[in-house]
This record gives sequence, structure tokens and C-alpha cells, in this order.
Amino acid sequence: MVAVDPLVPEARPRLPRTGFWSGAGRVVLRKPSRIFGLAVIVFFALMAIVGPFLYPKNLPIDPNAIYAPPSLAHPLGTDFEGTDVLALIVTGARYVLYSAAVAAVVTVVVGTGVGLLAGYYRGIRDSALMRVTDLFLTVPGFPLLIVLSTIWNFGAAPAMGLVLGLTGWGGLARAVRSQTLSLRERGFLEAARGLGLSTPHIVIKQILPNVAPYVAMNLLLSVTGAIYAEVGLFFLGVVPFKANNWGVMLNLAVFSGGAITSQNALIYLLSPLVAILLLTLGIVLFLDAMDELFNPRLREG
Amino acid sequence: MATAETGVQAASPGTGEAAVRVRDLTVVYATARGELPAVAHVDLDLPAGQITGIVGESGSGKSTLALALLNAVQRPGRILSGSVQVAGVGDVVTLGRRALRQARGGKIGYVFQASQSSLNPLKTVGKQLLDLGRSHDVADLRQLIREAKGLAEEMGLDPVRALGSYQHQLSGGMRQRVGIIFALVLNAHVLVLDEPTTALDMLSQALVLGIVRRVHRERGLTTVIITHDIGVVAELADRLAVMYAGRIVEEGRTEEVLASPLHPYTAGLIAAIPRIVGDPNRSRPLSGRPPDLTTVPPRGCPFRERCPVAMDVCEVEDPALVEVPGGRRVACHARGRGVAVR
Amino acid sequence: MPCPGKGGGGEVIEAMGLVKTFPGRGGLLGHEPVRALRGVDFSIPAGGAVSFIGESGCGKTTLGKILTGLESYDGGTLAIDGQDVRRLPAGRRRAAFRRIQMVHQDPYAALNPTRTVAQTLSDPLRMRARELSRDQSWIDGRSEDLLRMVGLDPGFVLPRYPHMLSGGQRQRLVIARALTVDPDMLVADEAVSMIDVSLRLGILGLLRELRRELGIALLFITHDVATARYIGQDGDLYVIYRGRVVEHGPTDVVIERPVHPYTQCLLSAIPVMRGLEDAGPERVMPVSDEMAEETPCLFAPRCPFATERCRTEVPPLSHSGGTPQEHACFYPVPRRVVPVDRPVTQVGAGPRG
Repeated sequence: MVAVDPLVPEARPRLPRTGFWSGAGRVVLRKPSRIFGLAVIVFFALMAIVGPFLYPKNLPIDPNAIYAPPSLAHPLGTDFEGTDVLALIVTGARYVLYSAAVAAVVTVVVGTGVGLLAGYYRGIRDSALMRVTDLFLTVPGFPLLIVLSTIWNFGAAPAMGLVLGLTGWGGLARAVRSQTLSLRERGFLEAARGLGLSTPHIVIKQILPNVAPYVAMNLLLSVTGAIYAEVGLFFLGVVPFKANNWGVMLNLAVFSGGAITSQNALIYLLSPLVAILLLTLGIVLFLDAMDELFNPRLREG
Repeated sequence: MATAETGVQAASPGTGEAAVRVRDLTVVYATARGELPAVAHVDLDLPAGQITGIVGESGSGKSTLALALLNAVQRPGRILSGSVQVAGVGDVVTLGRRALRQARGGKIGYVFQASQSSLNPLKTVGKQLLDLGRSHDVADLRQLIREAKGLAEEMGLDPVRALGSYQHQLSGGMRQRVGIIFALVLNAHVLVLDEPTTALDMLSQALVLGIVRRVHRERGLTTVIITHDIGVVAELADRLAVMYAGRIVEEGRTEEVLASPLHPYTAGLIAAIPRIVGDPNRSRPLSGRPPDLTTVPPRGCPFRERCPVAMDVCEVEDPALVEVPGGRRVACHARGRGVAVR
Repeated sequence: MPCPGKGGGGEVIEAMGLVKTFPGRGGLLGHEPVRALRGVDFSIPAGGAVSFIGESGCGKTTLGKILTGLESYDGGTLAIDGQDVRRLPAGRRRAAFRRIQMVHQDPYAALNPTRTVAQTLSDPLRMRARELSRDQSWIDGRSEDLLRMVGLDPGFVLPRYPHMLSGGQRQRLVIARALTVDPDMLVADEAVSMIDVSLRLGILGLLRELRRELGIALLFITHDVATARYIGQDGDLYVIYRGRVVEHGPTDVVIERPVHPYTQCLLSAIPVMRGLEDAGPERVMPVSDEMAEETPCLFAPRCPFATERCRTEVPPLSHSGGTPQEHACFYPVPRRVVPVDRPVTQVGAGPRG
């Protein structure tokens, strides 16, 4: 029996709390900016989920209160039809966040999958996957979306998300691939193969956790990118809309409501912009936690 | 038929003046738990014209001490107290920025570890030499380059090729030699080498050490070699200082320290090295781990956990480094009693 | 001479004429292909200990990678447990290479930083459990046994991540992980060079113990001959220069009476522990360190004893000169180059405090 090497009594004898969620909690609490960011995200998520239930399906219009200034009844004023702007913001959140979430998920799933497989297998499979990726990278996203809109109305939230996701995964695929390639240089992947671990296990359990910080950051950034893209599409009037959302509000404010010329309509114009800005800010502040969250060395401190 | 230089060096000419005098030096690093000492109250003399080896493992503070000799400890570390008197320069710790810059390179040459790329990857060696010359207000840059080429030849490098190379074009052994050129080209009289042969294989190591010995002798330098590998300095150094937990625990002439170590750590370290001759089973592992900055116990001897002859007094009192007859120093309450190497 | 396919005598590894050439690239290597291995023969008996000594770039690391299946080879034959790996179908070949596990130089890079110790061991153990129809409790028990076997305290290390362990502990974990698949041989490639000096013997001793207790063969690849001697004093030593074996034989014979000038230079470079040893009387140094034009005897440009014959004829591996070890030199002259131990004078010498 081999003699046990007596370990020097550790400076911190207590068992480390290495659970993921407790570590995650500590990471977020480390900086107030992250707590604020998370709060903002949660706030808007709740708005998206619960918001439309707080108001009737068809928001009331009030011809007597067109572009009314902010008041107790209408904290953000009213639009060109007299509809409460706050109500518009709250009900318009669902579309924006839902489609952005779908877009982010599609981007991350496709991009990460392609990147991992290309980086792991290398060789012919890598080249083939990268040619496909390059195709998606070289075609400019926004013009493509505009062209696409002429043949397909992807106004519904899931469809919008799908389209945005499918056009935007190229960059993530390339980045994940290069991270995977550099991970391969480190010994532990070679060791995993030498031990006979299966490919799915290696890709999902060994490689993925190491690229997770980057993927998580990308997930959040995709959300912001998708929001800008769809707001832009609606603003330009390229996509016909049925329900209300922030992009629609901007479109109506500028083109139908004459908001640019009318002083009173400033709040109506700014409200969706500020909402977008606030949400983006929340995401960016929370993003800071991603790197530490997924890296055990940084997480445990 | 060529043979290597054999045999032990002739004894250095007397103890002589100390070229570098370190007195009560303490260097601390800022950590989550406040400032902790990496080097604690070190007294050390580097005799002029001799090679001193400073041996220690990771966490011993040896590299910090080396940097402190040039007052080059970077944040979050700083020199808390003490002095480093260098002949011809004064107290390095109190020098102004300009004088310090002149001293580094001009009086004290520093050679980085072989594995670190301390050379600018975007410039050739020659260009960097010129930069070095300019930053030290060297009047005749051509002469500087000639000096450098001369040094390169002494070290077995093709001078034109060496000066025209970029860092990535040089092998580890070559980079190390180039590092020595940089350290000596401004005629420093103190040479500090930090882990000069880590990451080099045996033949390159022997080559570099041979060059160090020759250059040291030819220029009458005072040389300090910092290493974790006793072997590197066992043959080359005149004197050895052993560091543990930021303190010097033993010091003396190399043969004496190796043949009859007074500190249990020194004895343990020697015994823990596999040797090329003799019974391999007489080598014994050292239990436990060397402490780092954060795990040094606040009181008592830092080595007591691993010490075979630890006594009660060791728990409480950190032994001071005291002189013992024979020009040696040791920091141990047992002071040689019961310490066996073989 | 080892013969592949024989399988008798319990050789874990038999290799003959292994050749590996890396295609050339631009930059430092120019457009020349790099001939990492130029026809290497060796064998490793079951439970045996073999060391490969040489400088960086001599091909010893490539050999280690070929033996663990991480690198392909371009020529020659390799037999694991008597089976020529080229003749095996892919699945059986992978299984054969799995019996040989590697322990790298950098234990931190060899461990997944996002897996705890428990996960690092259970990943391969789960596979084994399936093969042997065992359950989770077997996995847990085996993890603990292996950790204890390598000198780690299971309660302490299991929940921890690699960055919470010291270098020595990580290396022990790497060894434990290698043992999860019950290997026949461990390849240790500079396994202790990144570990603190006072802790190296612990790891080396562990490897020796494992060889004794479990009968695992050891291939030790290093440039530090003293550590190779510690691990494999009863085994064979191969000295490799630029992809060729230049000398091999029983460890002590090669160390005490080397006949090839390269071996002699390598051993001469070992520093002498003044006070404990005296320098070897016949130390030798290479005459230059530049890699010159290739000559038939690859070492000739640096050899202090080279003659015209060395520059025109390839010296074969043989026992010429009646030497107990095989060597590739036309003029084998045994020389005592390693230090000479000084006799023990006093124990615990030192002034009485």
C-alpha cells in the first residue's frame, strides 16, 4: 500500500462550496452593477410575460387626448390616437423579447454546434462546415432580411426570431471553432480520447463547459442584436405588423404620427427608445458576470 | 581531443569586500488578507568576485529577492523596509528614478528566465540593443554594438546572425545567451541570473553555465544565480544561500553546505534529489509542501511542519539567522544537531 | 532483437524500425521535413522499466505520443501485447492504445479546469462500470481507492477543482485517472519537471510503487538522467539522438560505462554536487552546438572524437568492442564521466550549537 502523502493542513479547512448555483449567486453579488443588470432583465422579462394580461386586448383610444403630456392617468402621455403610451410599452415588450430570445437561442445552438463539431473533428468535416459558415457570414444580414421580407412575411414573433437567428450564427461558429481548436492543444482533451471517452461526452461535457463563458456572453449579445434588427425592420416598415411592439411604435411615431415635427410627441417617440436602451444596458451590465460564472477558478475565487 | 573543464574551482580570493549588501530587507505583496511578506528581514552579503547561488522552491521568495536587488518589484508588491547597498551605486531602494534606470544595466545586469520572453518579439536583437544604449545615454552606439558582437562570439553565437534575429528565431539556449549579452553590454559589475537554465536541456544548461563561469572570471563580476535546482549551482557557485518561506535559512561555502548541511530543510532538499551515483534508495522524499505567501504560519519556524527534528521552541519562536564558526549562517533552533544527510 | 508478433516473453511493447517524419513548414524549419524518428527499435517487458534519454527535439516525445496512439507513424511496426496495431480494426486498436496511458509534463493542462476531481475520475470509471456491469457505488469506491493509492485524501480532493490543488497533487490525480482504465503501461513524459524539487521524489516514488504493486510497466522519457535512474535502475536505458538510438542497455551499465560520445557528453553535463561528489575523471564536451549539415553519423559534427569515417559511413547499432550495451559508434571507448561519490566522512557534521 502506498504511503499516503500527509497533506499540509490547508489554510482554509472548510469544504469549498462548489455548487454551481451558490457560486453563481456569489458571482452576481460581487458587483452592484451586475445585480442592477439582472434586475433590469428580470423586470423586462416579467413585463413581457405578464404585461399583456394587465391590459385589454384592444387598447382604448381617446380622441380627446392626442399627444397628451404626462399625467397621473397617462404617465408617459398618449400617442396620436390617444392610447396610453405606458400601456403600449408594456404590451409591446412581449413581441420584442420573445422574438429576440428565439433568435438568440437559434444563433447559439446552431453557431455553437457548428463551431464545436468543426473544431473537434477538423479535416474535411471542418472545411465543409466552415464553407457553409462563410456563406452565412459573407451575405450581409440586414439587406438579406429586407429581401427576404418581400417573399415571406415573418411578422410572427417565432418566425422573426428564427430568421434573425439563422442569419446571425456565423460569427459565433467561427469563434467557438477557434476556441475548440486551442482547447485541443491542451492535454486534457487528448487524455480524454486516450481514456476512450466517447465523442458526445467529450464535446458536451469536456469542451462545452470551457467555451461556455463565451457562448453565454454571445447569447446575451445576440439578444441585443436581435432587438436592434427587428426594431429596425419594423421601423423601416419592411415587415407588416399585426400586434403592437416597440419597433411598430417607432414607425408609427415617425411616419404616421408626425412625431418628429410635433414637440408634444417627443415622449411617445422616446419611450420605446429608452426601453430598448434600458434593456440593453441591463444586459451589458449582467454580461460582466458571464466570464466568472462559467469559469470555476474565477467563480470560486 | 577536447575535454571539459574538470574539477572544483580554486577557492575564491578571500572573502573580500561585499559588492552587494542586503540588510533587513522585507518585501510585501498586497493580498485579500492585507500585505504579506514574500521576503522577510533578509540579511545577505554578496562578496565581490564570487558566484553566489540562492536556492529555493516556489514560494520561497527567491525571485522577489532578485527583483528587489534592482528595486524592480512590481505592484502589488513593494519593498517595505531594509536596504540594498550596491558598490558604486548606493542604496538601490532609495535611488531616484533616473539614477535607478542608469544603475540597471549600467551597474547591475539582470538576466530573465529562459522560458520568459523578455525580448520584444517585434524588434531584432540589434535594434533592442540600440534602444538599451539610448535609454542609458550611451554616447557611442557603434561601440556598444561592437561590444555586443564581441560578447556574442565569446558565447559561441554568430554575431551577425544573433543581432539580426527576432526572438522567435532563437532557441532557448540562444535566447538565454542573448539575455546575458544584454545584461553585460553596458559593463555591469553585478550580474543577476534568474533561473538561467530552466527549460533548457542538459547540454544547453552545461553550455550556458560554462559561459557564465567564464564571463564571470574574465570580467571579475559579482554573480548571483537564483534557482530551484541545487544542481545548477552545486558546481558553479562559491557560496550558497538557501531560502525558505521568504527567509534565508542557511548560508555558507558550497562544499560545506552540501557536505554538512546545518538546517534540516537543506538536508532534506539534498536528500530529496535523485542522484546519478550512489544508492538511489538513500534519496528520501520531503513530506508536506513548501508554503507560499498566504500559508506561512505567523509565528514560529515556518519549516516545523515538515521538520524531522522540530522542538517545542520551534512552534513559538522564528529562529534568527545566526553566524556559526566557519563563516556559515543558519536559522535553526537545532543548529546542526541531529541533522543527517546520508 | 525484438520481433513483432511474437508476443511471447510478455512484452508490452515491441517496436521495430519506427519512422516518423513531419512535413516541413515555413519559418524556423524552412521547407525541410523534420525526421523525428529514423528507424527506432525497442521493447518494453511487462512490468518493466525503460527510460528514453535525449535532448529536446530528439524524438523521444514523439515516441511517447506514438505509443499512446496520439500520433501516427510512417514506417516500421509497433506491437502492443503482441498484436501489430496496424492489423487491428479501429475499435480494437483504440482498446490496445488505451492500455498505455500518458502522464504529461504539465498536470494543469492535462486536467479539465471545469471538472471536479470526482468528475475527472468518474468520467472514465463510468465507462468501465458499464463494461463490468457495476453501479454507482462501485464507481465511488473505486475513485476513493485510486485516490488513496496515489497518496491523495479522497475527502479533501473529491469536491475540488484542479486549480485548488497543488502541482504535485494534480500530477497524482493525473496518475489516478490513468489508472482508472487498468493500463499495462504508463508513459511519463517529463512527468516531474514542472514540480517543486522537494516534491519530485514523492511522484517518482509513487510510480515505482505502482510498478511494484500493480505490475505496470513504465516508460520514462526525460532529459534528467538521475530521475530516470531512480525509476528504472533495474531496467533499460535508451539514448536517442536526432531520431536514432545511439546507445542502449541496462541502466547502470550505460551510466557508469557509456561508450557513445553523445551519451558521454550528456552524462558529463550533469553538475557535480561539490562536497558530496568529485567530478568524473573523463568528462567530455561537444565541440559545437550548431546543427550543421547532416552526416551519416548524426553526431559527427559535434563529436570531439569524429573521424572521416564517421562523416561517410553510418555506424550501425552493435556490440562492437565487446560492450555489454548496444551502441552506434565506430570507436566505442567506455569513459567514466559521471561524478564519483565521496566517501561518507561525518554524519550530521556541524559545529555544536
